[in-house]
Amino acid sequence: MKDLITIGLPSKGRLKEKSISFFNDRGLKIIQSEKERNYFGTIENKPDVKIIFLHAKEIIQRLGDGTLDIGVSGLDLLKESDINLQSKINIQKKLDYGNANLVIAVPDDWIDVQTIADLEEISFDIRLKRNTRLRVATKYPNLTNDFLISKGVTQYKLIPSLGATETYPFIGSSEIITDITSTGKTLADNNLRVLKDGLILSSKACLFTAKKKATKLQPFLKSLGR
Amino acid sequence: MKSKKLSEVIIKTFKSNGFVLSEPDVLLDSDYIIERSGEKFRSSMLSFDREDGKTMCLRPDLTVASCISFLQKKTSSKIYYSGQAYRRSGGKGSNFINDQLGIEILGSKNLIKDDFKVISTILNSVKKIKMKKIKIKVGDIGLFKSLINALEMPERWKLRLIRHFWRPGYFEELLKRLEKNTDIDAVTFDTDKKRFYEMKKFDQNKVIAGRSISEILKRFDKKIKDPRSFADGKKIVKIIRTFLKINCKLSKLDEELLNFAKKNNLKINIFKNFKSIQNLKKLNQDINFVTNFGRDVEYYTGIVFEVFSGTKQIASGGRYDDLLKSLGVTLPSVQQ
Repeated sequence: MKDLITIGLPSKGRLKEKSISFFNDRGLKIIQSEKERNYFGTIENKPDVKIIFLHAKEIIQRLGDGTLDIGVSGLDLLKESDINLQSKINIQKKLDYGNANLVIAVPDDWIDVQTIADLEEISFDIRLKRNTRLRVATKYPNLTNDFLISKGVTQYKLIPSLGATETYPFIGSSEIITDITSTGKTLADNNLRVLKDGLILSSKACLFTAKKKATKLQPFLKSLGR
Repeated sequence: MKSKKLSEVIIKTFKSNGFVLSEPDVLLDSDYIIERSGEKFRSSMLSFDREDGKTMCLRPDLTVASCISFLQKKTSSKIYYSGQAYRRSGGKGSNFINDQLGIEILGSKNLIKDDFKVISTILNSVKKIKMKKIKIKVGDIGLFKSLINALEMPERWKLRLIRHFWRPGYFEELLKRLEKNTDIDAVTFDTDKKRFYEMKKFDQNKVIAGRSISEILKRFDKKIKDPRSFADGKKIVKIIRTFLKINCKLSKLDEELLNFAKKNNLKINIFKNFKSIQNLKKLNQDINFVTNFGRDVEYYTGIVFEVFSGTKQIASGGRYDDLLKSLGVTLPSVQQ
């Protein structure tokens, strides 16, 4: 169907609940399948809208390839994605949940390192003394790269991580990390500390739309309100 | 003349000046280059994974490729190359392939002689292909270093300014920070001092994320003692900015630098190591000296130059004494 609108929503946790509430609060009641693990849903009295529950990262990808018309995901995931992909996606609205910061964290006991300027200094030091580079573990290689380079930290090497990045400095996989955090508790519990000026990106949940579908989506977005 | 013919004439000049052909590998170990030239390089390299898991890339630049080849003892030290280098250049419609023709003196032992040799060979070759209105622009990263080292400011600021000279955008940010003297957070400083005394009792060889406790405490201690604020930030920035405006005929350089030193109450002998630049007067060419120059290539350490025909840049290069060190051994080099 040409006028069918496909919306991608996060499939897990608080982000899922809050996203469903966001639509419900605007009079668009989301109906999930009775089967607990089914990934599809609908909106009451809107036969031309289809809901798909997906991994937040997947939502960005599928907005880019045209499978989804609208999606809720994190700003961090959009900004981390390939520039060609980003150019295909509009940030329709920043939502008031899913707040989290992407930050640079160092071990608590690196008491001499408080700022990026310190980090820059020791990275050159490591390079000079050992001819190796400071290793930075991260799930966000692109954002981390851009940030560090813009702050003059050039002597480093990225270590891609898929999870539990907080452990990396203490098992010899990296020296420092960048990670997403909302309360800072996981970092603190793992003896890590955010640098004073180490905020890379302040992220939140966003309503995204596929640029190509802008005209077709007009009426529906209007019904969502501003 | 057609471009193929042109390069033949140029290569002939290279050869007659004693440069030997280097044919560096097309495929290079990607990690080896990134480890040494930085993460930023990665995005411009064309790389792929080999079956054994090793990441390889097409040679992104013939200077780097020639250095590697030299280190593997495949070439002599005075080389020329002519070939393609492969990299992304960012802009749309870039075709990945860059033709590069050039000379290098790797492991240069005689600074003045080798700097001159490279620039005069380039000059000869552009004359051979009958380029008109030849002009040369030179600079010297070494002069900037001499200036910074002569100024009174904390050591870490000196190192910082020298390290980032080649990144004008960030350098400007540093100057602004230096002017306002923003560097440290007093609150965390106090609590950490407490931690400092606690940590002093620990096993000093214990390693935390790759750094030993003694290393951390030593730097912390140095940081406390290194003056955080100093009165002259503003004045120093003004001197640096004035220096970076120097742009004169090579023949006037002595006078210009002397005036600069006098006006800013600096010792008149702070710029002593620029004989290599002075020596270029022998070329009998129209040469301009510019301090704010050679700032786009990270690895230059001394003399930098560009040759123009009219307004068109036809050659550029410089001395890079540290690149070979980062690629494996300590050796000075000059390049076109």
